Amino acid sequence: MKVFPVVKIVPLLLLAAAWQTASVSRLLPASVLPSFWDVAASLGAMMRSGELITHTLASFARAGGGFFLAVGIGIALGLLMARIRIVERALEPILLLIYPVPKPAMIPLFMVWLGIGNASKVAVIVLACLLPIVNTTFNGVRSVDQTLIWSAQARGTSSRRLLWRVVLPAALPQIATGVRTAIAIAIIVMVSSEFIASESGLGYLIFSYGGVGADDAMLAVVIYLATLGFLVDRCYLAGLQHLIAWHAFAH
Amino acid sequence: MPASYLELRSVDMQYGEAARTTHALQGIDLDIHEHEFVTIVGPSGCGKSTLLYLVGGFLRPSSGSLRLRGQPITGPGPDRGIVFQRYSLFPWLTVRGNVGYGLGEQRMSRAERNRIVDAYVQLVHLRGFENRYPRELSGGMQQRVALAQALACRPEILLMDEPFGALDAQMRRILQDEVRRIWRQDAKTVLFVTHDVEEAVALGTRIVVMAAHPGRIKEVFERGFEVADGEEFETNPAFAALKLRIWRSVKAEFEAPAA
Repeated sequence: MKVFPVVKIVPLLLLAAAWQTASVSRLLPASVLPSFWDVAASLGAMMRSGELITHTLASFARAGGGFFLAVGIGIALGLLMARIRIVERALEPILLLIYPVPKPAMIPLFMVWLGIGNASKVAVIVLACLLPIVNTTFNGVRSVDQTLIWSAQARGTSSRRLLWRVVLPAALPQIATGVRTAIAIAIIVMVSSEFIASESGLGYLIFSYGGVGADDAMLAVVIYLATLGFLVDRCYLAGLQHLIAWHAFAH
Repeated sequence: MPASYLELRSVDMQYGEAARTTHALQGIDLDIHEHEFVTIVGPSGCGKSTLLYLVGGFLRPSSGSLRLRGQPITGPGPDRGIVFQRYSLFPWLTVRGNVGYGLGEQRMSRAERNRIVDAYVQLVHLRGFENRYPRELSGGMQQRVALAQALACRPEILLMDEPFGALDAQMRRILQDEVRRIWRQDAKTVLFVTHDVEEAVALGTRIVVMAAHPGRIKEVFERGFEVADGEEFETNPAFAALKLRIWRSVKAEFEAPAA
């Protein structure tokens, strides 16, 4: 992975310039799309007032909580499925059934079970993040080379320690790709869950500004969210590069 | 007659169920003495690697017995070091981490471990590469690390499963000399599987030829002469004669109709 080069920002700047030109020349009336400048001004105002920070913290507490729970549960489930046949037989059909369900569609049901507060939102995020992590953990553990396990056993590793010494490190690169997918899913589902019965969070901001016709503020939050998502992903990749420097895809 | 060091008696190995059974090995009897260097050569499918995995304790025989110093082999253990053709190294550990892996499993102190690792890194000529990861090394260097990793646990027996099969001819010849030198120095017992007749003669004091379908021992040759380290054995008539005899024995297996 290379450091993000500045030159890649150029198309984005051109897009912003084209947008602003279209707005100023009335090619794109404000009723269809507010001008780039108005959106940028709203973004600045929301940042100064602290509004954005408050809602960001509320959102990321939910997304982070759900994501980290999903990482723990997902790796454990994937591992159990890969190692114990009966667990695989029991869980596989259930996971296949859940897979195509749009997870935000489960929000109303979770609200009936867990109330309209944070618990139902976090639960949906956990469910949505779980699948890619279970999947890649399962595949990663299953594809650990037999000779690697034999090699460890011949050097004195007991079967009990094999999991920590060989299986998990060997599966780590694959698990890491599932975790990366889960980060993106956590942000998407976080926003969706905040559209419904919420009084805080970036999804709530988008939904409420959109509802009162404040399109510039609404778009400002969307652009802010995209930037934040991008930065989180880059931070993850940078951390990963450090953690699995030994693996080819880190370079 | 005294009990042999490593003793295989009527070892059978079958895969699959009833009608579709494959006889990987049938009726293997083999005695290996301490400090012997035995090479096993044969066509693919003759079960030579399976035989090695049985001695390693990674597989259990369908019937028959394997004993080391009179004790039945029941599983893998650090008394039998193994080098595979590929994937013996842990990609997430450096050369130092890989060579010291077995010592760490024995709860050895870091200082003591480092001292031993340094010695084996030196032995396989990898000084200066201690902090590299396996994927940063050439195939030949990776196999040197694998050899050092196996030796650092100080096994009694070294099991080698076509360890140089994926290397080019020059590197193979250099590593063959190193393995022979280490065998002389450390007085290990070595069981070495190969598909290369010349390699089998260059290394083995005894050469076991195997046949396929079912996998069985066809013929055993005593080398009867020494091969010195770095010797250009191409000029040795005894070497050429033995190589030819063994090649004919192996070649017959390719010409024989499948039983």
